[in-house]
Amino acid sequence: MSRVAGGDRSALRQLYDSTSAKLFGVCLRILSDREESEDVLQEVYVTIWRRADRFDAARASVMTWASTIARNRSIDRLRSRGMMAYAEPIENHELPDGGVSAEALLVAAGEEGRLHKCLSELDDRTESVIRTAFFGGVTYETLAQRMDTPLGTVKSWIRRGLAKLKGCLEQ
Amino acid sequence: MSEGPELSEAEAFAAEHALGVLSPRESAEAELRMATDPAFAADVDAWRARLAPLTQAIAAVPAPAGVWPRIERALPANDNADSGSGRGLRFWRGATVGSLGLLAASLVAVVMLANQPPRFVQTPAPEAGPLLNASLTTQDGAPVPLFVAAYDPTRKALIITSLVKAGADPGKVHELWVIPSDGKPRALGFVEPGKSKSIPMSRELAENMAEGSAIAVSVEPPGGSPNPNAPSGPITAVGKLAKI
Repeated sequence: MSRVAGGDRSALRQLYDSTSAKLFGVCLRILSDREESEDVLQEVYVTIWRRADRFDAARASVMTWASTIARNRSIDRLRSRGMMAYAEPIENHELPDGGVSAEALLVAAGEEGRLHKCLSELDDRTESVIRTAFFGGVTYETLAQRMDTPLGTVKSWIRRGLAKLKGCLEQ
Repeated sequence: MSEGPELSEAEAFAAEHALGVLSPRESAEAELRMATDPAFAADVDAWRARLAPLTQAIAAVPAPAGVWPRIERALPANDNADSGSGRGLRFWRGATVGSLGLLAASLVAVVMLANQPPRFVQTPAPEAGPLLNASLTTQDGAPVPLFVAAYDPTRKALIITSLVKAGADPGKVHELWVIPSDGKPRALGFVEPGKSKSIPMSRELAENMAEGSAIAVSVEPPGGSPNPNAPSGPITAVGKLAKI
């Protein structure tokens, strides 16, 4: 990463080779559109190039940092589609691949497995709302509208869910 | 039912920002807080790290061969070398999630404000040039603006709207700057968080209100930057003037 920050294009190329398939998967998962995902993937690596000097290995792994950028850029794009994208009712917006994937359940150890285990310990509704928010880029307001539930209620579900998640992850 | 451990208000807000459920205005507030409150920034980072494994469960898909050449073409030369001009501006970090909807709405509001005819004039004066606008964002290129600005050349006034939550940054002021092509910042005045105002431009300042000039906001002690020719505090948001 320090070579990327120093303006070394071959270092960015190496990073691209080792991370682009993962990040392209993230963009596709959120956007469900190949062409848009390619555009966003391009933006992601330009952002990484520009911001490599801010990367702090003490705070996150390169993969965590880069996937956060990929997720956030994809959500920006999703939101820029406007209200059409928000019109979908929440039931149809949940994980098209069936929630926690079988693959994920098979991950026995590691932070990924722990997160999925802790998420699955939440009640179904809270888990689903948190996943929808994470992958759908949906704000409290939109969640409340879609679920026809007061905003304060949705907010307390999520806050309580996040608190439990943290407690579970720290065990 | 067991409630589990409660998150502090600050940490809950950090977690919500990391999850991305906050409204654009609240996100902007969270970004502002990250820039000024390291403990809060660390909370947001920790929550991003906690949630990031969700993306790791997504299957990898090889990117099409055409993407890398596009990235290479899009890379700015020497972009990491302190932005070339040597102004040493420090920009906010953060990976904001934004809403273009809000941006569009804000721009409409600004345009409507800008298009209000002057109160004592029956017919608006002929246009002196196109209306220019700028969306001031943190430097990571996220579309959520912290401020929107519009320059009305007919009335030689800059209309600035702060989308930062009212009451943010107590004990500090948000100072507005224009940085034209010569790279020298000129102070334009202050804008209160959450407020909108119209700032009349002297003839001299008006000349700097050109397409491509940067409009920036810095966080300063009360009274503004002690140096009238440059911000003393961090630049919180920046954007370039462009035709609407």
